[in-house]
Amino acid sequence: MKFGRIFSRGIVFDNPVYVQLLGMCPTLAVTNSAKNALGMGLATTAVLIGSNMVISLIKKLIPSRIRIPAFVVVIATFVTIVGMLMKAFLPDLDKALGIFIPLIVVNCLILARAESFASKQTVFPSAIDGAGMGLGFTIALVILGIVRELLGAGTIFGMTILGEFYQPARIMTQAPGAFLALGLLLALFNKITSKELNEL
Amino acid sequence: MRDIIKLGLILLIITSIAAFVLGITNDITQAIIVERAELENIEYIRALLPEAEDFVRVEDENVINSEEILQVYEGTKNGEIVGYTVKTNPQGYNGRIELLIGMSIDGKIVGVKVGEHTETPGLGSKIADGAFINQYTNKETVLEFSLTKDNPVKDADIQAITGATVSCEAANRGINRATQLFEDILKNR
Repeated sequence: MKFGRIFSRGIVFDNPVYVQLLGMCPTLAVTNSAKNALGMGLATTAVLIGSNMVISLIKKLIPSRIRIPAFVVVIATFVTIVGMLMKAFLPDLDKALGIFIPLIVVNCLILARAESFASKQTVFPSAIDGAGMGLGFTIALVILGIVRELLGAGTIFGMTILGEFYQPARIMTQAPGAFLALGLLLALFNKITSKELNEL
Repeated sequence: MRDIIKLGLILLIITSIAAFVLGITNDITQAIIVERAELENIEYIRALLPEAEDFVRVEDENVINSEEILQVYEGTKNGEIVGYTVKTNPQGYNGRIELLIGMSIDGKIVGVKVGEHTETPGLGSKIADGAFINQYTNKETVLEFSLTKDNPVKDADIQAITGATVSCEAANRGINRATQLFEDILKNR
């Protein structure tokens, strides 16, 4: 498989959120604003690239019977490192994302990539896969964040887009809005990709 | 059996390496995190004692070992002490309530703030509302405050919130402890 193909697969055809429906917890919980969504996406990407690389490096040393606990330890280590770094250098974002940073550990997307890709491939493709999947996850989260923030507060990344004439629908920044927006975006994404896939 | 030991050892090696890496990261970030928390803390207490320019944490053992006292800061301006802020954590209805009390050196409560707490939303959580907590501002620290159900008559009377007796009592106790600490030790330092 070519690197470009590995990379683009995560962004469109195997998009973690819109196609594989993985990592729904952070997807629904922290996309109340575009900024939070971007922060969460990038933190997950960093963990994904790191854990994919390390797992592909040590895959021969890990007996298959204990591979899951070994993967979880590697992933948890990266999540804790990212969490510490965010606390030290990006405290505002850390406060906004709160408990969802440590919860990256249980984001099934990361374990899924470790199990289905990194444990069978060499370092370089694994890093590319992590970057592609992470970026796909980030893009998906940011799109969701933009939609929710725009409808719920009339802003995007904190900048006012819809003027005073727009009465913000507060529900969009709360939990029910996450489900509504995700459902509609999934439908839209299916519509677009099904057309493309039929043409392929 | 030997297989299990081997698998266990491999996991042990993996977790040891992970712990080592985390230890190093912790060493690098810990100092920055602590420093930032300290700065934030000072920003927070500045609002309770606006007169002061610098804050120094009081490390005196008599002070910090007092019951339900968490932190004490000394506020100074041009080298002179203008007041103290005391953080207490009395036991409330659902858990401990963090209270910050700012007192000026001439014996007046300048400001009181409720920090983190887990009191019942809508009932006990009302202790954080200005209607209750601002009753303490500008009162003298020599008073021992007591709660009343009716309109306050004496200076030391504080009107309690209906349905939140335990939370009010806890907050009141925390504030009394702070003023007592100020009267007994802090103002004579």
